[in-house]
Amino acid sequence: MTGRVFEIREFTLHDGPGVRTTVFMKGCPLRCAWCHNPEGQSFETETMTRANGERVVCGQDWSAAALAEELLRNADIMAQSGGGVTFSGGEPLAQAGFLLEVIPLLKKGGVQLAVETSGHVPLADYRAVVSQMDFVYQDVKLLNADAFRRWTGGDLALVLANIAYLRTSGVPFAFRVPCVPGVNDSAEDRAAFDAFAAGAKIEYLPFNAAAGAKYPMLGRKPPHYLASDA
Amino acid sequence: MTERIKSLLDRTFDKEQAKFRRDVDWKPLLGRFVAEKTPDEVRARIGLEEMLKSERPEFMDGERLAFLRTVRQIPDLHTDAEMDARRATGTAFGEKGVVFNMTADFAPTIRDGLGERLGEIDARLAKCRADGDAEGVEFLENARLSVEAVLDLVDRYRAEAEKRGLAEIAATLAQVPRNGARTFHEALQSLRILHYAMWCEGEYHCGLGRIDQYLFPYYDADIKAGRLTDETALEELEEFFIACNRDSDLYIGVQQGDNGQSVMLGGVTRDGKTAFNDLSRLCLKACGELKLVDPKINLRVDKTTPLEIYELGTELTAKGLGFPQYANDDVVIPALRRWGYELEDARDYSVAACWEFLVPGCGMDINNIDAVSFVGALDAALRNVAAASSPSFEDVKAEFKAEVQRRADALVEKYRHVEILPGPFVSVISTDCIKKARDISKGAKYNNFGIHGTGIAVAVDSLASVRELVFEKKLVTLSELVSLLDTDFAGRPDVLAAAKAAPKMGNADARADDLAKWLIDFWGHAFDGKRNDRGGVFRPGTGSAMYYIWHTRDVPASADGRLKGEPLSANWAPALDVPVKGPVSVVRSFTEPDLGSVCNGGPLTIEIHDSAFSMPDGVEKVAHLVKFFIDRGGHQMQINTINRETLLDAQKHPERHRHLIVRVWGWSGYFIELDKPYQDQIIKRVELAAS
Repeated sequence: MTGRVFEIREFTLHDGPGVRTTVFMKGCPLRCAWCHNPEGQSFETETMTRANGERVVCGQDWSAAALAEELLRNADIMAQSGGGVTFSGGEPLAQAGFLLEVIPLLKKGGVQLAVETSGHVPLADYRAVVSQMDFVYQDVKLLNADAFRRWTGGDLALVLANIAYLRTSGVPFAFRVPCVPGVNDSAEDRAAFDAFAAGAKIEYLPFNAAAGAKYPMLGRKPPHYLASDA
Repeated sequence: MTERIKSLLDRTFDKEQAKFRRDVDWKPLLGRFVAEKTPDEVRARIGLEEMLKSERPEFMDGERLAFLRTVRQIPDLHTDAEMDARRATGTAFGEKGVVFNMTADFAPTIRDGLGERLGEIDARLAKCRADGDAEGVEFLENARLSVEAVLDLVDRYRAEAEKRGLAEIAATLAQVPRNGARTFHEALQSLRILHYAMWCEGEYHCGLGRIDQYLFPYYDADIKAGRLTDETALEELEEFFIACNRDSDLYIGVQQGDNGQSVMLGGVTRDGKTAFNDLSRLCLKACGELKLVDPKINLRVDKTTPLEIYELGTELTAKGLGFPQYANDDVVIPALRRWGYELEDARDYSVAACWEFLVPGCGMDINNIDAVSFVGALDAALRNVAAASSPSFEDVKAEFKAEVQRRADALVEKYRHVEILPGPFVSVISTDCIKKARDISKGAKYNNFGIHGTGIAVAVDSLASVRELVFEKKLVTLSELVSLLDTDFAGRPDVLAAAKAAPKMGNADARADDLAKWLIDFWGHAFDGKRNDRGGVFRPGTGSAMYYIWHTRDVPASADGRLKGEPLSANWAPALDVPVKGPVSVVRSFTEPDLGSVCNGGPLTIEIHDSAFSMPDGVEKVAHLVKFFIDRGGHQMQINTINRETLLDAQKHPERHRHLIVRVWGWSGYFIELDKPYQDQIIKRVELAAS
């Protein structure tokens, strides 16, 4: 089995403790209107055209062994700093089968593992991967099922079921809320998120209006509230 | 920071002190020197005397440490015609010819006072006269007069302070620098005056050395006696650091900010014990509060240095100061030993203006006497080999190595005999000059010359590209490639794209890193067995100084896909615009070679996006990156915290970015004060951690 990755980024600073590499897995079941990584939405390989006309292929297929070898090249500094590998995306758990092949290889290499997920995946996949993580960043975007469907195209019930598991899993986690103006950033929203967290760690990520630049590179129109001239 | 310090800081930054300055026309003095054919030693002494006589005691409101420059110009001691005539006879000079880029031995004179030095001069003078040592007599007489000139200005400052009711300053100046310092405050005032006098004598790039070591006894005694607390000591230090920014716009450098006021913290003592102390800590704290470009902080570390010290350093990096620059004792001390430095001296190392390692007080090294352009050498080598029939990649490597060696040999010839213009006062505050009755310009314990190596990454990437394009993929022949270099790859966008896609240093890719290892191995030994006529060795390094801008003027496009005129990277760093995986891979690539043989200095220079420090653990992560570099045998490292958008905005609206600091090549300066090519080069540097 191969996994499809659209970026491997070294020394990421917002994806967990220590010195980390983040693997951005390609493809996502959701279509959040504010998505900052549109190249992570499609499961297919795409071509991006930069402003200077340069074309780059987005999406590389990796075998588990090759990906683990690449990531473990930095195992020394990860061990030194208590860091590791974070799977992000896209939706990494949408490629759970592949992750389950990579995870034991990385664990053998002695690195800590984390995942950032929307939780919009089958419970069995969620449980299988999350139970092996050292840390989980669980997205919480909206708490109303209709609003969730309208803004992301997804089914909130599926996410809530996975979160229910996460709370009892014993795996350390934090909720992450992408704050989107006019969507989920009111004082009432904030109070509702805090109540939902029920004492668990919750991080509010500031909205970056300049993140729309990647849409035109994919030949797409950016959502109206994301500037494309960044 | 106290209110008094805040006020001094703001007023110094706004150059309030400039209101005291005036111009002095030194041409008549120079005319007299020329007409009378005055000897160099006498010119140096008279120049200092006249300069200090022209100085007027002035004080900034609220200051406790006195001395500031009121005369803008230092006297020229020689005309260009005189210097050209001397060069024409085959005598080489380093830069302007005077003593520069060094650190005096401040500690003994802070401790004993200049009065003690006068006593030593008199005793030695008597012996020289008895021995008939005319040269010794001449040096010592000039040295004596130079010390008296300094003390005369001190007396005038003291009298003026008394007159203005500045009792504390008057009392301090009654003690130092004529007598030894008894307190931390007196030690700082003494250091301020000795350092000030060096600049007035015409020396430049005057380093401050290991202040956390030589000032520690005063700090420690005051703390123990209850005369100082950590708060009052911090205030003292901050005032001294502010004073380093008072006259700095009058100092000589290639660019504003390039003034060589380096400080070295931490490391080991001369007997090998851990040297990082409470004063080192306080120095870091003071810099973090002031956020000024001077003094420029260097921090010595080694494998045993705890992460906490890296974190203290990284706090300054996070503030965007461009320092500390780290130096690795595990690599540098053995390297200095191999070049003949005694163990105790090697343990006592500091840096010159940028990163060239030196031993304060006993080195008359010229650490940056010239540079080899690796990009130029490779260009010449490719042209030579292209002319041969069916050349191999081994031929390219062999010719490149031979060309570098030819250039190294030419520099040895060029600088075999170098003269340095005398500095009687700096000699008084350097080790053993009085004892030997010789000016430091005649030679000190160490007289080594440093040779920079420019554009190493571009040369390595170009070699990797030649190997792949010409010999593996056979996309072009070597002679076709050489022609393309002259036309910026005109008509062959495919070759340009392939050149850009070829392996590059900075990605932990063995296909480039193996060539870097090979290059450093022969560069590190290119001067083995060669000596200058002072008995000193030639020390190769990985620094670029300003040559990374200058050398681009002499070369066409290079085989890595860099077009003509596009700048080289500064120092030991990936080529500009190279897509790298990230800073961990950069550190890995740049610590693959054995850096112990290229310890003239020249740091791994990396840029980190300022958002890295928006997370609370950003400091810890960057500290781990530095530790990783050191633990892997890196020699020296500096980190720029920058944001491309901020720099672009600063070019458009300089008035909004007066405090914006960047690391240029081996020093931190204010971005808006740099010439545009230097600004543009920084903007082009890769931001390695933009997430």
